[in-house]
Amino acid sequence: MSKPYTLQELLIIAVAREIHDYENVILGVGLPTTAGAMAKALYAPNATLMMESGIIDFEPLLPLNHIADAHSCRGFSYATDLFSAFTMTYRGFVDVCFLGVGQVDKYGNLNTTCIGDYYKPTTRLPGSGGACDFISYAKRTVLTMLGGNFAEKLDYFTSPGYLEGGSSRDDSGLFPQGSGPSMLLSTKGVFRFDPVTKEMYLAQIHPRVKVEDVKKDVPWDLKISPDLSETSHPTDEEIDFIRRFSPAASSGRHLAIELMIANVMKQNK
Amino acid sequence: MTLQKSKVMSVKEAVSQFVSDGDELVIGNYTVGSCADLVYEVVRQGRKGLTLYSQSGIFDIEVLVGAGCAEKLVTTYVLRPAGRRGGSAVERALQDGSMQMEDYTNFQYNARLTAGMHGFSFMQVLEGAMATDLFRKRSFLGDDKYRVIECPYTGKNILTVPAANPDVCIVHVQRCDKFGNAQYWGALGSVAAAALASKRIIVSCEEIVDHDIIQSSPHLTIIPAYRVNAVCEVPWGAHPTEVLGYYNVDQFMYGLFVTMDATADGLKTWMDEWVYGCEDRIAYIDHYVKKFGSRSLENIRCKPYYSAPANYGSAFTTRWDNEGKERAMGLTLTEFEQVLKERGLLYE
Repeated sequence: MSKPYTLQELLIIAVAREIHDYENVILGVGLPTTAGAMAKALYAPNATLMMESGIIDFEPLLPLNHIADAHSCRGFSYATDLFSAFTMTYRGFVDVCFLGVGQVDKYGNLNTTCIGDYYKPTTRLPGSGGACDFISYAKRTVLTMLGGNFAEKLDYFTSPGYLEGGSSRDDSGLFPQGSGPSMLLSTKGVFRFDPVTKEMYLAQIHPRVKVEDVKKDVPWDLKISPDLSETSHPTDEEIDFIRRFSPAASSGRHLAIELMIANVMKQNK
Repeated sequence: MTLQKSKVMSVKEAVSQFVSDGDELVIGNYTVGSCADLVYEVVRQGRKGLTLYSQSGIFDIEVLVGAGCAEKLVTTYVLRPAGRRGGSAVERALQDGSMQMEDYTNFQYNARLTAGMHGFSFMQVLEGAMATDLFRKRSFLGDDKYRVIECPYTGKNILTVPAANPDVCIVHVQRCDKFGNAQYWGALGSVAAAALASKRIIVSCEEIVDHDIIQSSPHLTIIPAYRVNAVCEVPWGAHPTEVLGYYNVDQFMYGLFVTMDATADGLKTWMDEWVYGCEDRIAYIDHYVKKFGSRSLENIRCKPYYSAPANYGSAFTTRWDNEGKERAMGLTLTEFEQVLKERGLLYE
């Protein structure tokens, strides 16, 4: 039996396993960069990690503060600009990209812009950033939703998943055939998209979570895979990597901040 | 070399001379190495009615919007302090109707500046966004946020954005010479496009270096001197954000800002102390050291990891060899002039 893990570690590992060797990978900040660093170290040594700020082919040594964080690596192979990072995606050179989600509907369309009215929002979320263009043109997209929610109708449609489902994305003529979100990770499980209807279904469930717990977060009648599996226990090697690379990722942000403040208070005494 | 006069001046002079009320002002930096001192000075001088452009409208935009400098904002991404729980200056300004905002994607925003930088009137962008509310919901740009045209070559519908040529760009870089050749490295983002699209450019830098340094590393120059209006030497000019090779982000100070920024009162308290309360960057750093000690700054100073020098050398730098002979003709200057005379090519 391998050593005990935290929920955050389980989530990072579930994402890292989506990165395959020799792939070109666009990383977003937060959980995906830790996952990218681990994939590069453990299973995909030849993956090319890229960020939209123009940092291309880098090996993270520290957790990244943001997608332009050149302090977290020791140099990198190719310094280009943001414009070119997107045109290389448009031309089909990006295999997989990772995006965080505020609100998602059953076809994997995303809202990261606002809650409530767009012009006078109840909550203003960050916006598109790179999301809309990446999910449009990366060959596949992995979605991570840690603080967001499922919605029948998005308050604002920021980034295109499978539009109205079925073949509507491919039929629109706006996107490369076969592109779109491949999975969504939440704190409760992993969702995938039906090959025909493109509706999201529960494919995998995290340990100690019940299907009912997942269903109560979803406003539509969520379909469950007949082969529903349980997210596997991380290996010691995976757990050790995350704890050494980013202890704050292992503990989660709230505990990390609490420990940092306690340390500052102690030093100031 | 027809190098011009020195453009070195204080941040106070630069902002007072080159930033006016009602300007379109673009923040050249992108997420990293924000031109913090230039931003603070715009606030201290009380500029009003600005249309702000920022690739990632986070720390810099929160300060400018929180201070009431902005009427309009063009960006792709805004700060969400403390996740879902906290508010932001941008959110408050949208809610009370004091500011309008136009949302673009990262690429579209950059494309507007790239078009402006090259003198084009528009730029093609990635058509996928036509399926989204980015395309459908428009603010102060209205129909001119995007226009769709038919490609004259393929007949396909193309999504376009209009060029942007802001009145002034404020930008922080690692180093610059006194003429304004600005060198920046790391995450290139849209820094060059933001500067070069603009009508006026104010550069602040960690250090002013000799022109020779620029001359031997032109691949690092992102803004040429002839485009620059002001050069300001401001060590720690991006603090609490980071500058590659100089200092890391000050996580404690940045965290303090983010915490205070979540409410209007908090942000005001923070600005009274760190923006209005410090007349320039020297006063700011003095105040910081007095309050938190110098160790927190020492801890974030970068250790060197130098770029390998690129060899810009050539086999020779004059047509005349060590013996004074022209390299191809094998003649000395006197012998060469003799030939010119013999052939009747010289006139008295």
